[in-house]
Amino acid sequence: MAASLSSKTTNLTSPPEIHLEHRRGNTNSSAGSLRSTRILKLLPVLSSFCILVGVVWLLLLPLEDYSRKTYISENALLPGQVHTYFGGSEQNVFRAYRNEVGALGANSSSGGEMARVIGKIFEASGLKVGRQKYSYTAAGEEIHGENVYAVLQAPRGDATEALVLCAGWLNMDGQLNESGVALVLTLARYLKRWSLWSKDIIFLITSDSRAGPQAWVDAYHDLHDPPSVASLPLKSGAIQGVVVVDYPSVRSFESLHIVYDGINGQLPNLDLINTAVRIASGQMGVRTTLQEMWHHNDKYQDRLRTMLRGMVNQGLGHASGPHSSFIPYHIDAITLQAYGEGRHDEVTLGRTVESLFRSLNNLLEHFHQSFFFYLLMANRVFVSIGTYLPSAMLVAVNFTFAAIGLWVESGKKKTKTAPLVAKAEKDDEKEISQRLSEAVPLPTQTSEERPMLLPLAFVIIVHSLGFIPLYIFNQLDEKYLTPVFYAFGALNVLLPPVISTLLALTFTVTTVHFKLIKCFSLLTLGMFLSALATLNFSLSFLIGLFAVPFTFIRPFPEKKWTAGVLSMFLLQGLTPTSALVGVAYYWGEPLGGILKEAAFGWQVWGMWTQVVVWCVWWPAWVTTGVLAAASWNLGNEEVW
Amino acid sequence: MRLPTLPWSTGSFLSLLLLPLALVSAEEHSSYDENLLLRTLPGNSVLASFRFVSNGTFNSHHSVFPRSLAQILQHSQTKELHLKFTLGRWDAERWGSQIWDGRTAGGTGVELWAWVEAGSDAEADARWTTLNNALSGLFCASLNFIDSTRTIRPVMSFQPDGHHAEDIKERLHLLHGTLPREPVCTENLTPFLKLLPCKGKAGISSLLDGHKLFDAKWQSMSIDVTPVCEEIDGVEKCQLQMVQTVDMVLDVERSLRKKDSVIPRPPHLDQMICDPNKFYSGSDSCFPLDDISDLSWSLSEMFGRPIRGSCPLASLPTSQSINVCANVPDQRAIYVSAGGTEVGRGDNIRCFILEENTDFDIILPDQSPAILLPNIEPPLYASRSFTGHGQERGGVQAVLRNPSPDRHVEFVYLESLPWFMKPYLHTFSATLDPPIETQWEEKIIQEIYYRPALDRRRGTQLEARMRIPPNSTVLVTYDFDKAVLRYTEYPPDANRGFDIAPAIISILAPRNSQTIFSIRTTSLLLSLPTPDFSMPYNVIILTSTVMALAFGTVFNLLVRRFVGADESVRMNPVQVLKVKIMAAVKRIKAKRERSGKAELAKKNE
Repeated sequence: MAASLSSKTTNLTSPPEIHLEHRRGNTNSSAGSLRSTRILKLLPVLSSFCILVGVVWLLLLPLEDYSRKTYISENALLPGQVHTYFGGSEQNVFRAYRNEVGALGANSSSGGEMARVIGKIFEASGLKVGRQKYSYTAAGEEIHGENVYAVLQAPRGDATEALVLCAGWLNMDGQLNESGVALVLTLARYLKRWSLWSKDIIFLITSDSRAGPQAWVDAYHDLHDPPSVASLPLKSGAIQGVVVVDYPSVRSFESLHIVYDGINGQLPNLDLINTAVRIASGQMGVRTTLQEMWHHNDKYQDRLRTMLRGMVNQGLGHASGPHSSFIPYHIDAITLQAYGEGRHDEVTLGRTVESLFRSLNNLLEHFHQSFFFYLLMANRVFVSIGTYLPSAMLVAVNFTFAAIGLWVESGKKKTKTAPLVAKAEKDDEKEISQRLSEAVPLPTQTSEERPMLLPLAFVIIVHSLGFIPLYIFNQLDEKYLTPVFYAFGALNVLLPPVISTLLALTFTVTTVHFKLIKCFSLLTLGMFLSALATLNFSLSFLIGLFAVPFTFIRPFPEKKWTAGVLSMFLLQGLTPTSALVGVAYYWGEPLGGILKEAAFGWQVWGMWTQVVVWCVWWPAWVTTGVLAAASWNLGNEEVW
Repeated sequence: MRLPTLPWSTGSFLSLLLLPLALVSAEEHSSYDENLLLRTLPGNSVLASFRFVSNGTFNSHHSVFPRSLAQILQHSQTKELHLKFTLGRWDAERWGSQIWDGRTAGGTGVELWAWVEAGSDAEADARWTTLNNALSGLFCASLNFIDSTRTIRPVMSFQPDGHHAEDIKERLHLLHGTLPREPVCTENLTPFLKLLPCKGKAGISSLLDGHKLFDAKWQSMSIDVTPVCEEIDGVEKCQLQMVQTVDMVLDVERSLRKKDSVIPRPPHLDQMICDPNKFYSGSDSCFPLDDISDLSWSLSEMFGRPIRGSCPLASLPTSQSINVCANVPDQRAIYVSAGGTEVGRGDNIRCFILEENTDFDIILPDQSPAILLPNIEPPLYASRSFTGHGQERGGVQAVLRNPSPDRHVEFVYLESLPWFMKPYLHTFSATLDPPIETQWEEKIIQEIYYRPALDRRRGTQLEARMRIPPNSTVLVTYDFDKAVLRYTEYPPDANRGFDIAPAIISILAPRNSQTIFSIRTTSLLLSLPTPDFSMPYNVIILTSTVMALAFGTVFNLLVRRFVGADESVRMNPVQVLKVKIMAAVKRIKAKRERSGKAELAKKNE
């Protein structure tokens, strides 16, 4: 609110010099300038309006009128149209395999013992087996393991297409995926007996749920780093779909949690999720949940919460399950997570997977019919990109509007002959324009020569400074991460005033300079965010929200001790570092853990969130900080 | 030795007159032979290889060589023809070397190559098109889609098998086309069987049933027509030899399951063999032990019927024909029904001669533990896959492994790529994996023949002669760009991707660089940047419907003559004719008057 108030003060101060220019300026352009004056006055209002509409737009989405019911777009899928036969003696086999998995234990995967034993079980089922060793270094820690997989060659197939059934030996929480792995082993044996497969099925047991799938999928496309990540000895065709089973408990479960977020906020085709939801809830009678909303009453609040959680996950761009690593390769993937304690057992999950694979087997083409950009509100409620995109775009476009306004303003000539203006102001506007049109055109230009070099150089340098924290936090050892982060946070508080003072000491900076600096900074921000909105809507929207005050904060030389101090304090709450501290506090996770995850994401998953944070958001923040600190460096007589 | 049945039923005197001549020519030039080889493969699979050889001439009316095919060959001046229909993939790691040295099997889909006699390339192309179109009709396959973009002219990979005169040899053009996407099915089998003299009614071909054939794990039908010449009494006599083969790998378990239930329900716990030595073994857990026994099977169970006696037309001029051979471990018992006599017994092989008009069946009882035949290792293992992702560019990686401990393998690697897949030749490289001996690096690729693609006119042809040292693996890689197609160039299932024909690996004899073994990799699925078709298609369909409706209505209104119900008079055909004639006369009169008036007007002018 303080920000919007300050914007009003801007308006109040601006009219005098603008009116003056009409007097002195070129008559031909005067009518246009007059109009532009009005628009200029309106611009801050327009910016605020954009933000308001953008946010309200998003909040409206969960309403019944703005969201849509999901539907199966690819008719070939025919979800739940087949009888499933998994069960009977397969359950005995499952129990035996589960005992085997339990006997191996959680720690057997990194050494390769798991791969050997599981490989043997696959081989006994008559499948071809491949193993893959990998090791990554992230945040000074080495992660290594060995994946094992088996290929069920389609009986009459020609190895052009494949499906993947995957289970991580350890799930995302590091628990032994006892029932999940056992289920994949049992299904491998069971599905092999069917002769109807049109695509190869790859059964993949990854050493863990974070690095293992990434190593495997990279090597499958030969985009791995050969010495540390081994090549695959055995390959099949183009992967059409991936289903991951996560079932660490040995007890029966209550509901199926469908996890779908991919790396960098990419999502699998909505048809895959719809198929899974339909089969689980329609055919098997298992409740499905999304985004850890264990109880969902399908009312506004729960829908909104589901959507916001989805947006946070998407915005963070991290892997939410083993399936996430597949999605950047345009492979649609989901994780089925067994949750809670209830009446459903492994046979139900096995049948769900069986039915799901029968549906995927029907696919004639790669998933393409349904949506790739959507926000899910409930199991069967979603909004597509056309509906939600305007909200992030409106937030992003507010920066562009402000930047355009500043550009026009910075070109206006300023003189301090106010009395004339005061007179003119009282005149009727029509009269003025009439008089102006009669007047003889003067050869002088209205626009002032803009000092471009310093603002441009400043913005470019600040943006390139972003690479320093990006590099530091991605390369540092785990043990240094937290202390360095605090040091950086402290430095970050001091950085804008220091830069501002340095700027004032080395150059003779005027308001025009600051206007242009702010203009370029906001222009870049608006451009980046609107481009990002099409790729990762949530990240763009969240950063846009954090950056909203940047539109309104400027040097307040005339009231440095009120508005200036206020904006300085406000800014401290909006910096990426304090946002991260806040997030860590909210989730109750150690800061070091989050930083480590980020570094891991960068090294292993190819996560781009950091780049956006340090090279887009942070420079914009520093620039705004410098502007706020300039309140003390600009003379009182300088008018914004 | 028997004569081909002649058209007695026509009772024509002419045919009686011609008989002696026909008999002579049939005896001299026409012969037919068929045999079946059964081989047990690991994993309860059985390889069945049918081979039918017919010899004959173009012109003979009484030859076993099918006239339909002979006429096509004659018309298109084709001297040698090889046509392959293949489905599935040969699992060399499990089944070992391919039968007939891989020379009868083609790549997935349809593969066709032929030596066409022509004076120029253009003439050869025209005859090739004729040949494709004719064969397309004969075999009910989309062979007519082998156009210039799918045709290549291999230089090193193929050599003619038949005897060609030297003067003709110079005029022969080799053309090769593939259709990797062609689904081979029963409609291709029927014309295939029709080419046989017994047409699947008797002899080993009576086993060939579409349901069983296309249920196989891998199957290949091939037709090879070559000219064969031999000197008889100092005179060289040439005739055409057609070798038709059907090779298939049957899954015994699946074939037998078809009998009672197609659905592989989980077996009852009593039928399962559980490992009793596990610490948890009890009533509720069962660690399954593999059933490693060979299942019992018989020909009639596998193929749905026994062999219906020998084909009466089958004969070999020199020796007695051997009809059925079973390549089964010696330790395994074989029972045969009446209707066949065992004629030979070799190393793991037993052969039988069939009798006419008597059903013949072979029964193999189950065998536990399974006995495997010694594995015949192929000279080279090959696999090929795409690398990279995205819709702009990609790469291909072929992994070629020489399993031999002491022999080098020399071969020609042939890629026939569609024009929209644009390889970069400078990225084509072969490296040893792992890279050990550096002196080998540059010697792996010995010769490259490259014919670049022309957009929409021809595809890329890439042939590379390579030499792989013993016991080593070579990675052949190259990068390519993906082209953006025009809107109408996409197939209806654009998002499936485009099938890329299998690479052909021809292993050369050490001395004379003749192909001695052929290997095909699997085909690949290339995804190209694809527009979202749903919207344009909807628009097109909707617009077309509206246009058709509007046009239909307007056309109807304009053309139809409306008559009141009371005005219409029921007329008999004569009256109708009368009215029509009257109308015609009237029209002609009117025309004359008009032309007369026009002339008058002209004169007046």
